[in-house]
Amino acid sequence: MDEIQELLEDFLIEAFEMIEEMDQDLVELENSPDDLDLLNKIFRVAHTIKGSGSFLNFDKLTRLTHHMEAVLDKARKGELTITPEIMDIILESVDAMKGILEYIRDNGDDSAPDIDIEPIVAKLDAIVNGENKSKEEGSSEKQKNEKPTKIGNINLDEITLENADEIDLDSLEPEELDAVLEHLVELRNKNEGPKKTGNINLDDITLENADNIDLDSLSPEEADAVLDHLVNLRNQQPAQPNKDSQEEKKEEPKNEEKEEKKEESKQITPAKKQELSNEQKKKEVKKTISSIAEQTIRVDVKRLDQLMNLIGELVLAKNRLIKIYNDVEERYEGEKFLEELNQVVSSISIVTTDLQIAVMKTRMLPIGKVFNKFPRLVRDLSRELGKKVKLIIEGEDTELDKSIIEEIGDPLVHMIRNSVDHGIEPPEERKKAGKPEEGTVWLRAYNEGNMIVIEIKDDGKGMDPELLKKKAIEKGIITESEAANMSDKEAFMLIFKPGFSTASKVTSVSGRGVGMDVVKTNIEKLNGIIEVDSIPGQGTTFKLKIPLTLAIIQALLVASQEDLFAVPLSNVIETVRIVEEDIYTIEGKSVLKLREEVLPLVNMADVFEIEKVLQPEKYLYVVILGLGATKIGLIVDRFIGQEEIVIKSLGEFLKGIPGIAGATIRGDGRVTLIVDVGSLMRLAKETHNKKVVTESLNEAKKRKEKPEDYTVMLVDDSAMDRKIMRQALEELGVNLIEAKDGVEALQLLKSNDVDAMLIDIEMPRMDGYTLAQEIRKYNKYRKLPLIAVTSRTTKADRVRGVEVGMNEYITKPYTAEYLQNVVRRNLGL
Amino acid sequence: MGSLNEIVKQQQQSLTKPEENQFEEVVQLVGFIVGEEEFAVPILSIQEIIKPIEWTKVPFTPDYVLGVFNLRGNVLPLIDLRIKFGVPANNIDENTRFIVMKIKNEDVAFIIDRLTSALRIQKKNILPPPETYSNEDEIIEGVGRMEDGRIITILKVDNLIRREEIVPNSE
Repeated sequence: MDEIQELLEDFLIEAFEMIEEMDQDLVELENSPDDLDLLNKIFRVAHTIKGSGSFLNFDKLTRLTHHMEAVLDKARKGELTITPEIMDIILESVDAMKGILEYIRDNGDDSAPDIDIEPIVAKLDAIVNGENKSKEEGSSEKQKNEKPTKIGNINLDEITLENADEIDLDSLEPEELDAVLEHLVELRNKNEGPKKTGNINLDDITLENADNIDLDSLSPEEADAVLDHLVNLRNQQPAQPNKDSQEEKKEEPKNEEKEEKKEESKQITPAKKQELSNEQKKKEVKKTISSIAEQTIRVDVKRLDQLMNLIGELVLAKNRLIKIYNDVEERYEGEKFLEELNQVVSSISIVTTDLQIAVMKTRMLPIGKVFNKFPRLVRDLSRELGKKVKLIIEGEDTELDKSIIEEIGDPLVHMIRNSVDHGIEPPEERKKAGKPEEGTVWLRAYNEGNMIVIEIKDDGKGMDPELLKKKAIEKGIITESEAANMSDKEAFMLIFKPGFSTASKVTSVSGRGVGMDVVKTNIEKLNGIIEVDSIPGQGTTFKLKIPLTLAIIQALLVASQEDLFAVPLSNVIETVRIVEEDIYTIEGKSVLKLREEVLPLVNMADVFEIEKVLQPEKYLYVVILGLGATKIGLIVDRFIGQEEIVIKSLGEFLKGIPGIAGATIRGDGRVTLIVDVGSLMRLAKETHNKKVVTESLNEAKKRKEKPEDYTVMLVDDSAMDRKIMRQALEELGVNLIEAKDGVEALQLLKSNDVDAMLIDIEMPRMDGYTLAQEIRKYNKYRKLPLIAVTSRTTKADRVRGVEVGMNEYITKPYTAEYLQNVVRRNLGL
Repeated sequence: MGSLNEIVKQQQQSLTKPEENQFEEVVQLVGFIVGEEEFAVPILSIQEIIKPIEWTKVPFTPDYVLGVFNLRGNVLPLIDLRIKFGVPANNIDENTRFIVMKIKNEDVAFIIDRLTSALRIQKKNILPPPETYSNEDEIIEGVGRMEDGRIITILKVDNLIRREEIVPNSE
């Protein structure tokens, strides 16, 4: 049973692949109907499916392919020219084949009750009989249905396999005989399918391939049947060419098989030749399959996923190792073992990266898998719409992660439909515009850094930004003032808004305003970006940019106030440094003018409702995020850098928090949250509508003008020294608080708003260096002036002071005036 | 780690106590202090007890969700039971611990102020929570009366946090 199951699976995989290929070839054939090689190829595919199908007892499938094959064979021999009408029917039967195959895949048999092959078979037969040149489908069908039931004096419906013996064949007219025989063959095909014994299909066994049969594996009856069959075959061989012996033999109902052969040879084509070449082809196929099998193995995707997870862990460990190495390097500068350590760390990091790429590659599939269905789609569409469209595909070898390949199909279908339906004009219109009647759609894929770009381009009528805006205003998608501030590129993006439809008349193909909206959502799900460019009268170009893989990503680490976030680099268009004057407020909404574009601007701290503790600085740092068709500027407080991160889930309880896609573990072992750009964009939009950035920036800014507004902390273990400092600074009028060691100073710092600190170096519990180091760990104290006041005067001491983050170094003793000046300068008084 | 050692020692002692009635159903608990009160959870629900480590804040969560932290490569949520129970949060000191418990197959860590001891209590000495307790979300399993007269609130681990309270509008 397992063997059969395996066989079935192989058959399905092969059949689906072949049918896909056939689809493409057929469309190509339509363009060059005389290409004999192509015809032969298509014919072979149909034949192979028929052969394997009958082997597995799929009668419905076999019957359909058989009739299709007949048409193809006629075309192959030059007796039939493939017209678009005939192609429609062939393609229809290919679709039915697909349907049946899908049913087999899901249910294990080919009963497929939803698919009625009879009308298709009738149409195919009509073509073979040369009746369907341009006639209505219905009439030929009717003819076909009436025809077989009654021929001459014989009512075919009365003839069954059981009563076939009773027919006096000699008394029949030649046509009657033909009809009866055809009817019998059909009956047999319907009722029994190919002759079968146990698991063996005798029809597939010929003298040529008899050697391949493993007799030991057969049951006694099966072996007997096979041997009988072979003996029969050998006896028949010399007799076969003898056409005269036909009639006598047909009277023996046992030899139905032979009947079929003769029947076919008379009725449609020399079937015997086919059958023979079939065997040859089967051998060829077997050969190619076995040679491929030596080089490839099928692997369960789950195993690859597991491998990918392990590599993720390895990447984290590697990041951590690099971090530790950097720490060690600082501490033991010049030591010999550092060199060795460095070598190990670099080689591990190189191997890890290579390993990651290698595993990623095992999950990659050529995008051709998706592209393959488009020639057919474009062909059907252009016929339906009465347009002439040529599809040019490039870069189908470009590889993408399997999971992405699965997601990308639907959006691409929508986009191609859109290009053919809305982009390309009808032939007359094109002619008037001085363009060739036949429009062209390009579908192109290529790599660009860590992204893959899929480009859909047409040479159609293009889009008019003003028209789009007008339409969007009519539909209430944007307001007039919004439209006035909109650049052309932004206007093109309107087509991705829900409820927007550009075609003035809605066709069955597109124009319901659903498609493009769905495209946007799907691309965003993959962290992709959409770009649109269009020139009226010359065509439109869509670019989908999608990251190569989903599990390990490059991220930009940014800090908003004290919190770190990782932003997927694929969504970062650029980072800019601006000053507050670059921000404009239009109707209560903040925007950033960046070159030609006007971008909505929000503060990340507002989006995530992070408490503001940092004083605003002169320069603001902005991340320009792009997702799908939208762009937005996000103000952060610091850029940390770019890092490779592994996406981890936040677990059942926390997953699905708005704006957060997951978490990653950094080299120092801390957890950093990963931003979900899609969700962040939605949050940002809300924030943008209610919060003016310039106001939000000033929330943390407490106006300090007078010296009384400032607080200075004095840290010294000697009460005497504190007193000297106090006396010197009281004249300034600033507030003073005192701490007698580093530990106390840290506590006081947290509960007080301190503007500057004077720090002694030598103190119990925690010395001044350590205190400075601890303070600098907090983002909000990054700029807090720290002034060392000490009697240690060597150069090494000063260097150490700078290293731990001291701003100034004052040596004892000092004059009161000097201290005041230093403090005043550091406070900006 | 001192307190953990004590617990182990006490546990061993109680295990070797000969006078214990073998046929009585006995529940083993770990006791800890949150705010002023002593609580306990079944010992089997505890995965591990660790010293506090740094955590990362997570936006849009209730205040008792302090954030997430890294426990040997896994990202775990950290819940402050002190805030959850509405008692003022003490500073983190040398007695503060994270208790990692399994809730619905997920590891979740809770901050507590101090571990007390491992406890053995007979099932008959566990009473349903008194009606005066506000126990709307069924956090309390029962109240244990210890032999030394102490009263300990036994928590129902599975109900300590609920996803719908943390991420209200999840699709």
